[in-house]
Amino acid sequence: MEAQKEAQRIMTMSVWKMYHSRMQRGGLRLHRSLQLSLVMRSARELYLSAKVETDEAELAFPAAALAPASSLPQPMTVAEAEADSPPRAEETIPAPEPMETQEARETESAPACSHLPPVPQRSLKANRKRRSSTLGQGGEAGLVPSKKARLEEETAPAEGKAEVEAEDLEKRQSQVEEGPFPSLARVLQKRFSGILSNTGGPPKPTAPPPSCELKPGCRQADNMINILVRTVVAF
Amino acid sequence: MGEDADARKINHSFLRDHSYVTEADIISTVEFNHTGELLATGDKGGRVVIFQREPESKNEPHTQGEYNVYSTFQSHEPEFDYLKSLEIEEKINKIKWLPQQNAAHSLLSTNDKTIKLWKVTERDKRPEGYNLKDEEGKLKDLSTVTSLQVPVLKPMDLMVEVSPRRIFANGHTYHINSISVNSDCETYMSADDLRINLWHLAITDRSFNIVDIKPANMEDLTEVITASEFHPHHCNLFVYSSSKGSLRLCDMRASALCDKHSKLFEEPEDPSNRSFFSEIISSVSDVKFSHSGRFMLTRDYLTVKVWDLNMETKPIETYQVHDYLRSKLCSLYENDCIFDKFECAWNGSDSVIMTGAYNNFFRMFDRNTKRDVTLEASRESSKPRAILKPRRVCVGGKRRKDDISVDSLDFTKKILHTAWHPAENIIAIAATNNLYIFQDKVNSEMH
Repeated sequence: MEAQKEAQRIMTMSVWKMYHSRMQRGGLRLHRSLQLSLVMRSARELYLSAKVETDEAELAFPAAALAPASSLPQPMTVAEAEADSPPRAEETIPAPEPMETQEARETESAPACSHLPPVPQRSLKANRKRRSSTLGQGGEAGLVPSKKARLEEETAPAEGKAEVEAEDLEKRQSQVEEGPFPSLARVLQKRFSGILSNTGGPPKPTAPPPSCELKPGCRQADNMINILVRTVVAF
Repeated sequence: MGEDADARKINHSFLRDHSYVTEADIISTVEFNHTGELLATGDKGGRVVIFQREPESKNEPHTQGEYNVYSTFQSHEPEFDYLKSLEIEEKINKIKWLPQQNAAHSLLSTNDKTIKLWKVTERDKRPEGYNLKDEEGKLKDLSTVTSLQVPVLKPMDLMVEVSPRRIFANGHTYHINSISVNSDCETYMSADDLRINLWHLAITDRSFNIVDIKPANMEDLTEVITASEFHPHHCNLFVYSSSKGSLRLCDMRASALCDKHSKLFEEPEDPSNRSFFSEIISSVSDVKFSHSGRFMLTRDYLTVKVWDLNMETKPIETYQVHDYLRSKLCSLYENDCIFDKFECAWNGSDSVIMTGAYNNFFRMFDRNTKRDVTLEASRESSKPRAILKPRRVCVGGKRRKDDISVDSLDFTKKILHTAWHPAENIIAIAATNNLYIFQDKVNSEMH
């Protein structure tokens, strides 16, 4: 647990430093960014392995709590409950809680996989869809620029938005170099996409579940990941 | 009037506080020339200050060998890269002197992107007695000219003139971390995070790329170049260090692109020391060949190591600079100190090595006697002709008087840049915005 807290704290710090290194005079330092991402990765690995251990210990409890259709909220709330309450979002970046919830989901899916069917890519996008639809509504609007699709103009349904965003991200990454570290974006994106791609979850029901309001933790997680992602894309 | 009113409200007390430092004054590099007569410093504001050693005179023996300001000039200005919307800092990253070939002195100074060759010349005579111009240079009225005279050179007050002779620009995409002049005195190399370029001193519009470690896919980036240097005698050999703690010796005769090293110097990591920050603290921040050319000195966050060019598997000597920080790496990560890049230096005979630390301490290790000493560069302990007292950091256990505990170290006072005179026991220590020059007198009892 201690190791987990420590890892979480280090992850928070790393993200904060990465974010602020963009604003430094002289531009982004490749060496510094590399070092930060290495620390971030070590901390994340430790955090995940610590999480797996704690979750394995409590395997019975979340397994019972899982229900098929709207099972997504439950594992997260369970995870939140079991984890120590991390420092709240008084910090400049609402890091620990969302990170943890995100990770919780990730590792939760691993041990509880007997109860969660494998997540199709569609549902992953759907997950992202739901999360980003809550962006701009929370207090974090200032951190995240409102993302209207550039290449694919779509009228607003919340569902369409995240898919567009996901695609645009990829498009942007494959575009011409914007600066000396064009692919640092990709480096960080790939590192953090591990969080996103491993994220388990229940199969998405046909309509976007009306569960946005059921998952406050989800919202903050979105902001976290999306802050990272946007930090990356802006390079 | 309004100005005065505002001035009264402004609190000027910070100006009297010696600990207040203008960022532009922070010294970022220190380098002796090949004879040790000149000492150049570069700062964050892009300025270079050159000190000259006073010749020893019998009349004033107590001023013998002192360094005084010889010249000051603005080497680099802040720039803006419009294409990438990036500001280019004017901070001088490195200065390297060229071997002297005539009366003038030349040095290379570099910031993150541009290298400049500066020529330093002295003028101590001026011609007088022109026929057509008077003393101020105004044209004379020809009717007043009755006879012809030959202009003669008359002595004048010494004037030091500095002019940029070459500007080597646009060679680097990433930030330049080191430059090194080749022993052939014709070429030099500049290294950034991923590439090393070879330049000819007379040609500014092109350079050869000799090392390129940029991966095809930047996602695969795992290490960057942190420092590089030419061998002092063999003009075909150079070494570069990486953020993973390895050194690569390359031979330019082997191929045009020296991506394949001739020798790889790497020490396997001690698994018992593994932590989150192992990768950061193993990054080599400086590499220096010994004067003999037989050894290399490297500095990583906690140690200095001496490598023998003939042995790639491990260093022949490892010295702990401040091992008491090993348990504090997390706090040092928090306050960014873990990213500090310390430099290291050899003395003229390669018997002693020196490097900086925190709290304005610097450390010297005698390779023969295996003794080490910690000294402090501070105003209080550096009255002229005072003898430096060895300092000690106590790590628990018995605490002696004057010992400093690890927790009371001032991590904002760091000595990153040090230089040793090529022949004598004179050292230059840059402590933030102050330059300390310590000399070892022959009849001194120290050392």
